[in-house]
Amino acid sequence: MRTRKRIIQTAFALAFGGILIIPTHGWSMDAEDAPESVTIDSLANLYTGVEFNHAMHVEYASCQECHHHTTGGAVVNPNCARCHRNSGEADEVTCTGCHATNRFSETYIRALEAPELYHIDKPGLKGAYHLNCVSCHETTSGPTGCLDCHTMTESGEKMFNTGSHSPAKGQQSGH
Amino acid sequence: MKKTVSRRNLLKGGLAGTAAIAVMKNNETQAAQTFEGYPEGMGVLVDLTRCVGCRSCEAACNKEQGLPEPAKPFDDYSVFDEIKHGQKRRTDETAYTIVNKYDIPELDHPLFRKVQCNHCQEPACLTSCFVNAYTKTPEGAVIYNSKVCVGCRTCMIACPFYIPTFKYSSAFNPRIMKCIFCYDTRLKDGKPPACVEACPQEALTFGRRNDLINMGRQRIRETPGKYVEHIYGETEVGGTAWMYLSSVSFDKVGFDTHVPKEPILNSVKEFLAIVPMVLTIWPGLFAGFHLLATRKEKIKEQEEKEEQV
Amino acid sequence: MRFFSKERPEIPIVNHLKADGTEWTIKEKLWLGLSVAEYKKQFFRNPVNWLMIGIFALGVPLILQRYIYGLGAVTHASNDYPWGLFLGFGLFGMVPLSASGFMLGTTVELFGRKDFHPIERLALLNGLLGYFFAVLFLEVDLGMPWRLPYPMFVSLGPAAVLFLVAWHVATYLSVQIAEVLPAFFEWIGWLKGKRVIRKMVLGLTIAGIILSTLHQGALGALFTYAPSKVHPLWLSVNFQWIHFFCSSIFAGLSMVIISSTLIRNFMAWRCDDEFKDNLDYITIGLAKGCSYAMITYLIIKIVAVAHDQEWSYLLTGWGSYYMLELGIAVVLPMFMFAVGIRNHYVGLIRFAALIAALGIIWNRLNTSMICYNWQLYQEIPHWKEVWITITVYSLYFLTYRFIVYRLPIVYGWKGEK
Repeated sequence: MRTRKRIIQTAFALAFGGILIIPTHGWSMDAEDAPESVTIDSLANLYTGVEFNHAMHVEYASCQECHHHTTGGAVVNPNCARCHRNSGEADEVTCTGCHATNRFSETYIRALEAPELYHIDKPGLKGAYHLNCVSCHETTSGPTGCLDCHTMTESGEKMFNTGSHSPAKGQQSGH
Repeated sequence: MKKTVSRRNLLKGGLAGTAAIAVMKNNETQAAQTFEGYPEGMGVLVDLTRCVGCRSCEAACNKEQGLPEPAKPFDDYSVFDEIKHGQKRRTDETAYTIVNKYDIPELDHPLFRKVQCNHCQEPACLTSCFVNAYTKTPEGAVIYNSKVCVGCRTCMIACPFYIPTFKYSSAFNPRIMKCIFCYDTRLKDGKPPACVEACPQEALTFGRRNDLINMGRQRIRETPGKYVEHIYGETEVGGTAWMYLSSVSFDKVGFDTHVPKEPILNSVKEFLAIVPMVLTIWPGLFAGFHLLATRKEKIKEQEEKEEQV
Repeated sequence: MRFFSKERPEIPIVNHLKADGTEWTIKEKLWLGLSVAEYKKQFFRNPVNWLMIGIFALGVPLILQRYIYGLGAVTHASNDYPWGLFLGFGLFGMVPLSASGFMLGTTVELFGRKDFHPIERLALLNGLLGYFFAVLFLEVDLGMPWRLPYPMFVSLGPAAVLFLVAWHVATYLSVQIAEVLPAFFEWIGWLKGKRVIRKMVLGLTIAGIILSTLHQGALGALFTYAPSKVHPLWLSVNFQWIHFFCSSIFAGLSMVIISSTLIRNFMAWRCDDEFKDNLDYITIGLAKGCSYAMITYLIIKIVAVAHDQEWSYLLTGWGSYYMLELGIAVVLPMFMFAVGIRNHYVGLIRFAALIAALGIIWNRLNTSMICYNWQLYQEIPHWKEVWITITVYSLYFLTYRFIVYRLPIVYGWKGEK
């Protein structure tokens, strides 16, 4: 079904010289379109970035389980389906495209006041990553500990008083 | 005609003056009126279903507030098993926030609850403080001024959430230690508190309190069965800036579900209301009693005097 | 003292003049007319003083420890139990036991019951000292005791119940000082001061009633800040202030009965005949006041249970404890007072007063400590906290005795009035 649609679309595009690529509704992406691996490090500070093996994860989950409706496939969540049943592939499929890094900034919070806005509760980028990854890892027995995915940096050790910044042994017995 | 007007104005002025005196005199009852919080106040929505107990918030709070080095690293999860007086961990002079773990029989995973000041809309600590050491800022934070605090610890009695802690270890510089919503360093500049920023799971959502209530309701409504239908803190003790969502009833995750729905001050109003009455009625009443009780003596004295004359 | 008073007719001092017609100096009056050697002798003959020495020997270092190393070093005060014995006993217990001042001030000055006059000054002194030491206990407990005047002058929180307590206790303390001053003026021989106070006495008495009603009630109202912490049986949001006020009436009267009994038995040399001869009659009169206050108290206690629909709590363990408290601390002494009044058993009345006074302390400790955090856990005070409390109370005892030894409290000044 999907392939046939794709063929028609391709044929259509070719018919117009093969250079005109219009994002059309009902057009969805495939796993093969995705990169092998993604480096998630835009927020890296206390931990080093994560080398995300996209190709491997494709075997565990369908696109829409992580990318919601943006890849064009049928959305999983019935609540999302109320609006996004036929919204097709989006311009932007990356996490950063929708999930803001400045989720709690004044400007972002003020923008939530728009009366028409439905997505008043969209997680920020960090939240989106972890909520998505951890909840799935919990049900699929994937790694869930912080250090299973991340390596703690020096500043992380300082923040958590661990590793080279562990509390002095003498004080430890004090409490 | 002119005269009447001016007289009326005079009367008005007089009435206004009397009213002003009455208002000033009745400070105690005035303050007892309900205050529903600043409309623009910020808050945090804590979603217990999201928290994984990583203690990042504790670590961030510790650094932001310059609190002492912890006894155990913040990635040491054995603290969840610490029990003192049969109770799980609580906030103290070294920690403004802590996370506790709750094993829930009907769930296959534990739930975690973050404890910190809930920043009430009408805080009991503030209303019970006789030196005005507490302030509810328009941003929503309940902050504390150690410069005027006498150390009577009534705020600790009054807080229904057991939040203010006292630096009992200090004789010369004791003070109340409690979460201040990172007011000085962050909130007043529009930034979220350190714990919120540190939370990887966005179990803590920072925003306008009014928006947070809508978000909470949306989560409850749109993920049926995931949450109990209550936002803890929406109405508790008159509403709090920090509110909670949970997948199990709140008493199972350490919340006091018996706190009054109204601000704590409301239960004190009964007494505050009698204060002006006693102040105004007692003098006349007892002076009258005195006259009645000693009337016979007075008459006797009078008669004796007259006889002498 | 009895030993000396037999040998030397001018002792105890009741007059400005010595036997030889010269005047006593203040210094001599302070030494009770004895030489230093004699004073020492009588001091060390008294076993009570040895007990005091023992208490202070350990108590004073402990108090120093509290001021050097903080409250944490000597108390079990915690973040769950911010208030311990210093306030539970020292403030919440001492203040009701000191309601005697305003009670007898009202009886004698306002209602004109001159028959209670012989005990009026003792009641006023009992009130003054009780309040003063309640403040002293507060100074031991406050985190920053040097900031005691802050609520008055530096940073005011007028909507707080404690603000009322602070102001009213402070003003009432001044009122009571003024009420006791005449005795002091007689003793030092400054009659002008006494006359000035005499003119103000009605005003002072009425001020005393107002302030007492409010701060005795306010101490109860303090607990209405913790409606979810204090056990519902010990906390009635609507009636708490009446409970505290009403119970302070019989607490104060009972304390005067106790105090006068002790003075009558152990300081008979100091009492004059008016005091000694009238004491039994007065004690019965005070007992009448107690029993009326107690029945009223008992009724409002029951009304509070009914009002808050708390009958089911009575069937729990806490309920049994509650009924035990009411039974021993209220019903039993009330019954004893009644029998004592009816049959003129003054001894029984005195014993009842002791039970009633201890009962009030028990009630205040229940409210502030034992039944506080009833859903969490119970905290047992640190032994150092107990010892410091006993030490401060001993200081109260010594001050009390020091004044009764000297000022015309239980005797009439024979000199010019």
